[in-house]
Amino acid sequence: MVVAGGELITVEGARGVPLAAGIGLRAPHLDEILTTRPAIPWLEIHPENYLGGGPARRALELVRHDYPLSFHAVGLSLGSVDGVDPRHLKRLQVLAERIEPALISEHLSWSTAGSVYLNHLLPLPYTEESLAVVCRNVDRVQAVLGRRILVENPSLYLRFRYSPILEPEFLNELSRRTGCGLLCDVNNIHVTAQNLKLDPVAYLKTLQPALVGEIHLAGHARNDADGQTILIDDHGSRVPSDVWQLFSQALAHLGRRPTLIEWDTDIPALEVLLDEARVAERHLTDEPSEHCRADAA
Amino acid sequence: MLTLREIEAAFSRALLGGDERLAPAEVLDDGLAPGARLHIYRHHVFTTLTAGLRATYPVVCRLVDERFFGYAAAQYIQRHPPRGPCLFEYGASFPKFLAAFEPCRHLRYLPDVARLEWALHAALHAEDVESLDPACLRGLPEDGLPQVMLRLDPSLALLSSRWPIDRIFRVNQPEADPGIVVDLAAGGVHLEVRRIGDDAVFRALDRATYAFRLALAESHCFEEAAATALALDDSFDLAAAFQALFAEHLAIDFETPGWRQENA
Repeated sequence: MVVAGGELITVEGARGVPLAAGIGLRAPHLDEILTTRPAIPWLEIHPENYLGGGPARRALELVRHDYPLSFHAVGLSLGSVDGVDPRHLKRLQVLAERIEPALISEHLSWSTAGSVYLNHLLPLPYTEESLAVVCRNVDRVQAVLGRRILVENPSLYLRFRYSPILEPEFLNELSRRTGCGLLCDVNNIHVTAQNLKLDPVAYLKTLQPALVGEIHLAGHARNDADGQTILIDDHGSRVPSDVWQLFSQALAHLGRRPTLIEWDTDIPALEVLLDEARVAERHLTDEPSEHCRADAA
Repeated sequence: MLTLREIEAAFSRALLGGDERLAPAEVLDDGLAPGARLHIYRHHVFTTLTAGLRATYPVVCRLVDERFFGYAAAQYIQRHPPRGPCLFEYGASFPKFLAAFEPCRHLRYLPDVARLEWALHAALHAEDVESLDPACLRGLPEDGLPQVMLRLDPSLALLSSRWPIDRIFRVNQPEADPGIVVDLAAGGVHLEVRRIGDDAVFRALDRATYAFRLALAESHCFEEAAATALALDDSFDLAAAFQALFAEHLAIDFETPGWRQENA
């Protein structure tokens, strides 16, 4: 197993994810990774892309022998009032039993309404009603998978008129009620805070450190919408300096956590992702407080 | 104030159909109109699903051009949104949609080209299976063979067209010579699509072999499949056709009435 750097965070009997910076595994890099076996501490995949057979599935079986893997699901729709699709959950369970990922995570969002799947991580009003729905769905997922999952804060482009609970408080409470962990996506905090005029540091500091099992980093796009700048979480560029800065603050508040570089659109050469992971690794191994000063300088 | 169920239904209608009667009222203005904020989500849904369809149907896209494809895809997504989160499974009904889509009805070969592209795409993602060892059939009773029903490789698709869709497909590959012209009057074709190794491939079959394999794929027994093939070609070599199913690793399981493989 290729493990570059540090101890393993063991999750309920599964192989651990190292306390180091990994990358999201994307189809254009599969062959290169299988051929050259670069020293990447861990990899993360979207399991929805591997629920069929064929070459994608075979490649995943090969990858899992050499790298700790994490499943980052996008299709469970934890915020759906109709509950989690049992057929989809069963397929995910079968894949998880076969691949034995070290972590499984999903988003605080919904995608399915009735029988329609909208291909997006859609926002929830943060109310007691939503909290009850998400708790019920997380309970169901954890019961079927037989393990704890991590739930990630989404990127938001709107705020509901009635949404009395702050998102980080909603996540803390979700964790308290279900026992799930949290995935802190630092880029998403930055994007949401910019789009909704919130204080990202105050958001970060509301998250309870002990609940956070993983950190995500990515780039975003800057769009003009009717004269207002909106940040779009497109995972299509290098991590920008303000997200690195927030990452340092996240490490200072949360402590060191397995960290992942995500890149989903305009996917560059593998080396670019590895380079980003090296930058994240330096943040992880250095004193976080020093980074705060260096980035601010 | 709407319930969460009502909010999700209203958002779904707004994002898919542009029905903004209810959803914007739930959203804070906050410097950017609620409709504009919803449009960010709507834009993502349509662009990512269109990109997925374009990746599955590159030849159709090339035949109608990018702009028309985008228009057709948007109409399709609106009327036939995904039913599940595995996007490699999305788009199976696009060929049928194209067949009834008035703006391209004159391109009569287009739906069949789309069927070929879907079959190739589906083959690539089909379940991995072990092929059947013909020795498993040795335990059959003497008169059992005619009643045998074979289960075939799940990546297999058999499709026939009155158009030369195999040639249309080949000359519309990026590396093909752009000077080649396909004669649409050249006649139709019977195609077999499946995954071999890591590649989805297709080839033309003679019509008796096609009918034989199609009958087996549709769960007819060996005797019925043989009769179908012989009706088309009385010189059809049944023994060779049967052996080929194993030599080509097409057969993966079998059953006969009252006798299953596990009894062997």
